[in-house]
Amino acid sequence: MACLHDHSCEDNDCSSNWSLYKHIDLPKVSALNEAVPGSAKSVFKPWEHRLNSSEEHLESNEGDPELLVYIPFTSDVKIKSIAIIGGTDGTSPSKMRAFINRDGIDFSDAQNMQAVQEWDLVENLNGLLEFQTRYAKFQSVASITLHFPDNFGGDTSQIHYIGFKGEATQLKRDVVATIVYELMPNPSDHKTKAESGGGFSQVE
Amino acid sequence: MVLEATMICIDNSEWMRNGDYSPSRFQAQADAVNLLCGAKTQSNPENTVGILTMAGKQVRVLTTPTSDLGKILSCMHGLEVGGEMNLSAGIQVAQLALKHRQNKNQQQRIIVFAGSPVQYDKKMLETIGKKLKKNNVSLDIVDFGDDEEGKLEKLDALFAAVNSNESSHIIHIPPGGAAISTALMSTPVFTGDGEGGSGFAAAAAAGGGDFDFGVDPNLDPELALALRVSMEEERARQEAAAKRAADEAARQEKGEPSNSQDATMVGKAAEATNNASEPMDEVNALLQQAIALSMENSGSDPSVHDSEMAEATNEDQDLAMALQISIQEAAKASSSQSDMSKVLEDPSFMPSVLASLPGVDPDDPSVKELLASLQGQSEQSKQKNEDNPPSDGK
Repeated sequence: MACLHDHSCEDNDCSSNWSLYKHIDLPKVSALNEAVPGSAKSVFKPWEHRLNSSEEHLESNEGDPELLVYIPFTSDVKIKSIAIIGGTDGTSPSKMRAFINRDGIDFSDAQNMQAVQEWDLVENLNGLLEFQTRYAKFQSVASITLHFPDNFGGDTSQIHYIGFKGEATQLKRDVVATIVYELMPNPSDHKTKAESGGGFSQVE
Repeated sequence: MVLEATMICIDNSEWMRNGDYSPSRFQAQADAVNLLCGAKTQSNPENTVGILTMAGKQVRVLTTPTSDLGKILSCMHGLEVGGEMNLSAGIQVAQLALKHRQNKNQQQRIIVFAGSPVQYDKKMLETIGKKLKKNNVSLDIVDFGDDEEGKLEKLDALFAAVNSNESSHIIHIPPGGAAISTALMSTPVFTGDGEGGSGFAAAAAAGGGDFDFGVDPNLDPELALALRVSMEEERARQEAAAKRAADEAARQEKGEPSNSQDATMVGKAAEATNNASEPMDEVNALLQQAIALSMENSGSDPSVHDSEMAEATNEDQDLAMALQISIQEAAKASSSQSDMSKVLEDPSFMPSVLASLPGVDPDDPSVKELLASLQGQSEQSKQKNEDNPPSDGK
């Protein structure tokens, strides 16, 4: 299910729609079967830079076109559509399957589980094609996992850009995640006033 | 301080009864596993470790990944040795156990102790390795025991398939010599990829390295003292002998066809010296002198038992090879008996040199046989040999 724009798309008009990339929790993005660890983060960029192929892209290992990308968001979002820019020469992914709000999925899980939605992709080198979601199922997405099982015949799969269109709801699903707690006491964290030089307490 | 879930695969097959690691392969392995668990849980309090055994009727998971060190150590008791190791099933079960770990933020790691032959072929191991790499699981392989039926190539192939980004390691520990746990302590398996290492492992490794003879003076002061005294004595004698050797060498090297051999031997010894860590420096200096001495050695029977020489010591392979080459080559050359050969064949010289080398047990039967063979050939020179009083090297 793709939709073509019926107006001449000026970058600033469309880019605001694709702004969900700001809500992606980039440090926690991870991918399986990537050739260069950490390269998954490079595919999330503003709409204007989607064709900027001078930077890194996500590439799978030699001879194995499967890719699995785990994308957590900083708050719950509603996803309307997804855009993918793949590589040339048959390295574009041909299928995409999405899983919502599950972390720690690996390839055997992905292959056995029923995806929330599946798409057949086409080679889309300028990113104007978007793949719509069944909006009702994508209403409160804290994390999405995209599984690309196959490509158009290339040796590896390459992805240069992944964009999400939708809205952010400012609701946080998992509040406890960012708490740091002590399992073993660290004396430097517990300096008393005497150790740190003393002083009179101040009342303002 | 990497947050990690580790599964340790223990080899409890029949081959573990072998005594080439003291007291037995299985005990040496168990010690290494205990130390490893301690190091992992100490380096990060949220790390978890699990254990499974690979041999016997089936692969058995003794404990799923847990951070409770007491539980891990207690399940190492009462393990039975028997059957054949099933490497492929062991790794796959370990992968499954890691998949179901409670904290999905932990990195997955499998540590395999492979001390017996591997039945699976290279292809199968490579597929397993690729699957691990695809699911971002690191694999450490500890290879010990004999190398038979291409075990080394198979494990190397597995390692090559699984290694991504230097997060996996393969360690080979040859039999005889250092225990598995001491050999592992300085490797990245213990210290974690390139970090400073946990305080536990670093302290243990530093402690072991400070003592020249691998013997803690606190544990056994008399032995440490005796070894140190004999080392001093021997060094004094060596220096005197080396000076004489240098003079002889200057004279003899002119006509000898062995100049290139000398160069390679010296080169090899120099390389050994460069690569050695600090406590080994004096050992290698001795080694170099011994090699220089053996260059002038002649009149020894070239039919020295090659197998015994190979088995004699593990760290001494340079010395053994040097002796072998020089003996064979001396049979071709025809220089006269020099003082150096007498020194080399002196029955107490060899034991004292060997005793001063860490990791060599002079009471080892194969070492004794080797010494006997060397001594047997020098009986004539022994009677003439009055100017080198036998020193007590023990």
